[in-house]
Amino acid sequence: MSWWQVCRAEFKAIFAEHAIVLTVLGGVFFYSFLYPLPYLKQVPREQSVLVVNHDGGALSRQLERMVEATPQVRISGHAQTEAEARHRFLEDGGIAGLLVIPAGFERDIRLGRSPVLAYAGDASYFLVYGTVIEGLATAAGTLGAEVKVARLLAEGQALPLAARRHTAFSVNMRPVFNTTMGYVHYVIPAVFILILHQTMLIGLGLLGGGQGEKDHNGVRGYWQTVPAGVLLTARLAVFGAIYLVLTMYYTGWSFAHYGISRLASSAELLAVVVPFLLAVGSLGVVIGQLIPRRELATLLVLLSSLPLVFSAGFVWPVASLPRPIFWAAQLAPSTPGIMACLKLNQMGAEFSQIRGLWLQLWLQAAVYGGLAWWLLRRRLVVK
Amino acid sequence: MATAVWLPPLLFILFWWIFSAGSSFDLPIGVVDLDHTSLSRTLTRQCDASSVLAIDRQFATVAEGQRALTGGEIYGLLVIPANLANDTVKGLAPQPTVFYNGQFILIGKQINGAMQQVVGTLSAQVGGLQALARGTAPPAVVGQVAPVRGQITALFNRHTNYAEFLVSGGLPAIWQILIVCLTVLALAAEKRHGGLEQWAGRQPVRALLVKLAPYTLLLWLQGLLFLVGMYGWLGWPMHGSWTVLILAQLLTVLACQAMGSLFFLLGRDEVRGLSLAAAYAAPGFAFMCVTFPATDMGWPALVWRSLLPVTHYIEIQIHQANYGGSSLDLWPSFAALLLFAVPASVAVSLLRRFSREVAA
Repeated sequence: MSWWQVCRAEFKAIFAEHAIVLTVLGGVFFYSFLYPLPYLKQVPREQSVLVVNHDGGALSRQLERMVEATPQVRISGHAQTEAEARHRFLEDGGIAGLLVIPAGFERDIRLGRSPVLAYAGDASYFLVYGTVIEGLATAAGTLGAEVKVARLLAEGQALPLAARRHTAFSVNMRPVFNTTMGYVHYVIPAVFILILHQTMLIGLGLLGGGQGEKDHNGVRGYWQTVPAGVLLTARLAVFGAIYLVLTMYYTGWSFAHYGISRLASSAELLAVVVPFLLAVGSLGVVIGQLIPRRELATLLVLLSSLPLVFSAGFVWPVASLPRPIFWAAQLAPSTPGIMACLKLNQMGAEFSQIRGLWLQLWLQAAVYGGLAWWLLRRRLVVK
Repeated sequence: MATAVWLPPLLFILFWWIFSAGSSFDLPIGVVDLDHTSLSRTLTRQCDASSVLAIDRQFATVAEGQRALTGGEIYGLLVIPANLANDTVKGLAPQPTVFYNGQFILIGKQINGAMQQVVGTLSAQVGGLQALARGTAPPAVVGQVAPVRGQITALFNRHTNYAEFLVSGGLPAIWQILIVCLTVLALAAEKRHGGLEQWAGRQPVRALLVKLAPYTLLLWLQGLLFLVGMYGWLGWPMHGSWTVLILAQLLTVLACQAMGSLFFLLGRDEVRGLSLAAAYAAPGFAFMCVTFPATDMGWPALVWRSLLPVTHYIEIQIHQANYGGSSLDLWPSFAALLLFAVPASVAVSLLRRFSREVAA
């Protein structure tokens, strides 16, 4: 058989197997809509807060209006006492935070006694908690600044100066790359690379494992006769071509659809995607040769997903990973693949800044490629 | 079956291990100090002293710092303007700027919180000194500097430890994947060994129950194992009833087994069954809302979410562990878990029909 004929046979074998088509095409397409689904609103807004106002004066009501005006929180009700607030918190459900304004709030401010507001957020849900505290602290900070400005004006300072003097200095916090801190922009670019990685491994595992099962059952096929090098290169070419199209669908159409930034040039992205697909493809061939039954490919890949996501470095800081986990994660093509794509495409890094990751991908492609070739050849020799 | 004994605990431990550093991070931050005064050096030192931040590098220009930020070498860049100390003395309220990586949201939020705290504290100290210098009496200085103070309380999770969020949600997510997959594989083993025809034979329902019951017990025990690990061994707070939690776990195991049986029996094929199981259970974590709240999800997300047993289970777990409220509030979650009797009965009727076809 010529190389082209082997390619054609591989292509047919892939499309003859429903489970591979279901995983590769179905999975990639299905996840492109399912995965962004929970995050479509990007940032949590208008979390419900209960207010316990022991003061009731004009200034405390102004604070309430300021709380209501923040995008993060809205006031969903009032309680007379902290005990009642706590009770409603547990009974009603859906309440994310509490604001307690102490008695004598306004008097203490006028006297310069610095009253203490109590904010509480439900820390069971970390994003909810952060949002509630951010909203309440913003409102309280705004009120504090207004009070200071009013006081400086009363002392006889001019308004422009007073407006700036209310604090010694402050900090200007500017998120970059994902300036709105949106969740789609955070999760999707990384997870989509992992989905390509995982479905490709499953597809190759099912194909290789399935052929292994056929060998075992005495079924004859083209893969038993062609040299290992031809089979490997043909398989990588066919799967690589399919996945190049799927990668273009994700990083092109899907990213555009969800408004995710695409800062890398096509050439730069291609320079990363090629070694990435070769590394994943070779690893997939290795898995296909090592598993005794083809369905184990799905199991293996499925169970590795969550650990791979969390050790890839975009959720949990790499420096905080235990060293053995860090090194184990470096073996997976997803780890350098996700980082290289995020840095190039979302953060706008220059290619020279990801050269280490790029070399790591090529190294993986070479090592897994060699291993795959050796395993394929060993099986032919056994035959 | 042997795999089912050792694999789940191993995965639970692996997952916890990833996050075992807790929340003391020392995230690398770069500094561009254009001021070079004792105030700017104090600010730099106090950032470094924070348990979250570590001043990793000094840059001469903003451009160099930006480049390191873009390359992911540092997660944040503190730029101290040229006349920080001077403008502070003049009361011009200068603003140091921190650029931080918003692409890695969780890391970015940590930097944001820690920076606000460091600058807030230092600014209050400096402001207090200035007020004293202007002749304000010491007790009134606090009111001058901060007319309103806030006391922040994290309800139900004193540590606000990220590891606790992610581990307490991630373990049930992995557990769901395991239950669904092991159910498919257990049924596939019957097909491989004696053949489904013989196994389902005359009493298909009995065969199914006998097959799955040991797994129910095993996976239920493993669920208990991670609960004991989190709330016993690691000593995370648990205010609710163990009985309620353990009961919820039993229902979750049964619900996941119902889904697993259904996936296998739809085509009586282990490969397709596992593919469906993968598509179904793999994104479970995203829908559990331990990260992104359900109140901000659209209806299609909520529909898919309600189809996953573990999302109902996690509501019960969080409710019991954190709030310790009355279990009566949980009836919707329990009812939802009981509704998985529907896929269970579909699976049973598929099996019955198959055994009738075999008999015919």
